[in-house]
Amino acid sequence: MTTAIAARSAPAWRQVIARVGRHEDAGAGHRWLDLEVPAGFAVPAPGQFVQLLLAAPAPVLLPRPMSVASVGRRAGRLTIGFLYAPVGIGTRALAALVPGQPVEALGPLGRGYPLDEPGTAVLVAGGRGVAPLLFAADALAKHGRTCEFVFGARTKSLLVGVEDARRRLARLGGRLHLATDDGSRGRRGNVLDLLDHLAPRLDAPLVLHACGPHGMLHAVAEWAMARSFRAHLAMESVMACGTGVCRGCPMPRSAAGRAGHRADAPSLYGNREYAMCCTEGPVFEAHDLDWTRVE
Amino acid sequence: MSVRRNGTGGASRTRRRDGAAAESPVDVRVRIGSLALRNPILTASGTFGYGDEYAHVIDLRLLGGVITKTITLAPRPGNAPVRIAETASGMLNSIGLENVGLERYVREKLPKLRSLGATVIVSVGGETPRELVRLVEALADAPDVAGFEINFSCPNVSKGGARYWAVPRRLERTLGVLRRLTRRPLIAKLSPDVTSVSDLARACEQGGADALTAVNTFVGMAVDLEAGRNRLNRATGGLSGPAIKPLALARCAEAAAAVKIPVIGSGGVMNGRDALEFLAIGARAVQVGTLSFIRPRAALEVVEEMTSWLAAHGHRSLDPWIGCLAGAPAASGPPAHSPAPAREEIHR
Repeated sequence: MTTAIAARSAPAWRQVIARVGRHEDAGAGHRWLDLEVPAGFAVPAPGQFVQLLLAAPAPVLLPRPMSVASVGRRAGRLTIGFLYAPVGIGTRALAALVPGQPVEALGPLGRGYPLDEPGTAVLVAGGRGVAPLLFAADALAKHGRTCEFVFGARTKSLLVGVEDARRRLARLGGRLHLATDDGSRGRRGNVLDLLDHLAPRLDAPLVLHACGPHGMLHAVAEWAMARSFRAHLAMESVMACGTGVCRGCPMPRSAAGRAGHRADAPSLYGNREYAMCCTEGPVFEAHDLDWTRVE
Repeated sequence: MSVRRNGTGGASRTRRRDGAAAESPVDVRVRIGSLALRNPILTASGTFGYGDEYAHVIDLRLLGGVITKTITLAPRPGNAPVRIAETASGMLNSIGLENVGLERYVREKLPKLRSLGATVIVSVGGETPRELVRLVEALADAPDVAGFEINFSCPNVSKGGARYWAVPRRLERTLGVLRRLTRRPLIAKLSPDVTSVSDLARACEQGGADALTAVNTFVGMAVDLEAGRNRLNRATGGLSGPAIKPLALARCAEAAAAVKIPVIGSGGVMNGRDALEFLAIGARAVQVGTLSFIRPRAALEVVEEMTSWLAAHGHRSLDPWIGCLAGAPAASGPPAHSPAPAREEIHR
């Protein structure tokens, strides 16, 4: 924690003009977007996000915060991948971009998953929450670690990019576990049922890294806390700036979170009552948030 | 919002940034009371943090000034989420004056801003006149404070907000007391949601304010039909962004016509041309707000665009431009342009 704060006291983000590379259908109503960013843009870590700002004329005013799903280098250029669903006005406009078009990218932002934390890494994805976790699986593999990848959705058609996940995990040596509420693919039930099933077969302690709807993350947090496992959950919030300046994305701290809050933490972070999702998050440890007050 | 500089690389931007002020062919200096500003572009309170957060991407010395996030005597945690809602061409915020408080501001933020060379205008907010007195007293002799903006117009707090201060006698008396505490400029930031901006503007002038800021955000609401509730936790918030520019221009013009002290325009400025519009209708300086959330370097880009436009239209000085359309009938125009060769194309 201390080193993380020290490392972040000088922000590394930049705002650059990126170019659309590959941009294609990813199934289940989702799109995959590769952006080529110029030199000077720091390499994002799993769990971090980038603010994407559309070129004029754009139907929205604010940039869209988007979780990083992959990082690659092609001909010395950094390429950042995003998996998203064009469901709102801004993301639908984003979906219309063709290769070569400019997008202003501000990042990398926020604090990602602490993947170096010891324990059996269990990555828990709900629906499109899979995006940062595929990236996390890659990163773990680079450090010689495998993972258990738990992926759940309401039904099989909502298991976004599941074949890609299967291929990547096979290459990385991770194991993919699927669950659908309706039993159309994998185990019938949700990711918690799957965790209950898997946990006795894995070496304790587990360390969970999750992304998905807040309801699911709340449940994963409770599950982990009840078993004294650490769980790191990538939260979402409405944001304006993404850099801690606007104070628009507060996450309510728990009593433990308040006790752990350092009064001398950079003011870009939150205050004793609220953490800012953009700078102190978007990844939070389960104990640090008051889940009853999370929106 | 748009990407307006397709293809410009970081290097050329940096060269321009470093060169912009030194090579500027237009004198854009302005005065706000006793305060001399290198240009009329200021960051709006609450949209630029305490100034240091963006310092790694924008040279604060090149701005007219930095108006820091409103501070109160004690730190405030701010309102419960949800605090932000994007609306058509604008955004609602209900931050609730979250801030680090006076003590940490003095200990940590002012020295940082000094080291960055910024012209610092401190925004202060209080629930009572007494709280404002204590804040201005505490900062009156701070070497790093160039002036004060008094936030008489926060729409997002239950006490000491825009409603409380929208009383001319209260404003006049409070400013009268503050006036005795400091010779530094006192700028009164006004709410647009009042029956008469000019009445409040005159009260501030009478009380001894050196300048006014017109205007703070407009009270607004947004509804989430599917969820069956308001999109903001506190129901209402302050509307900012390009949606409010025409409204802000009108309030700013009204205030400028009502008083002799300078008026600082604020509301929906998205580029240098918008800033020139505020200046033309009588603003002496202009604040850049929401745009800084979208593009952290925006305030400086506004300076550059404004200066380039003036130069391209043959102006050597900003001064004649200020108020050139104030109180003018539609047919009259700005000072004669000489269509000088454009130093630089402004991309729209």
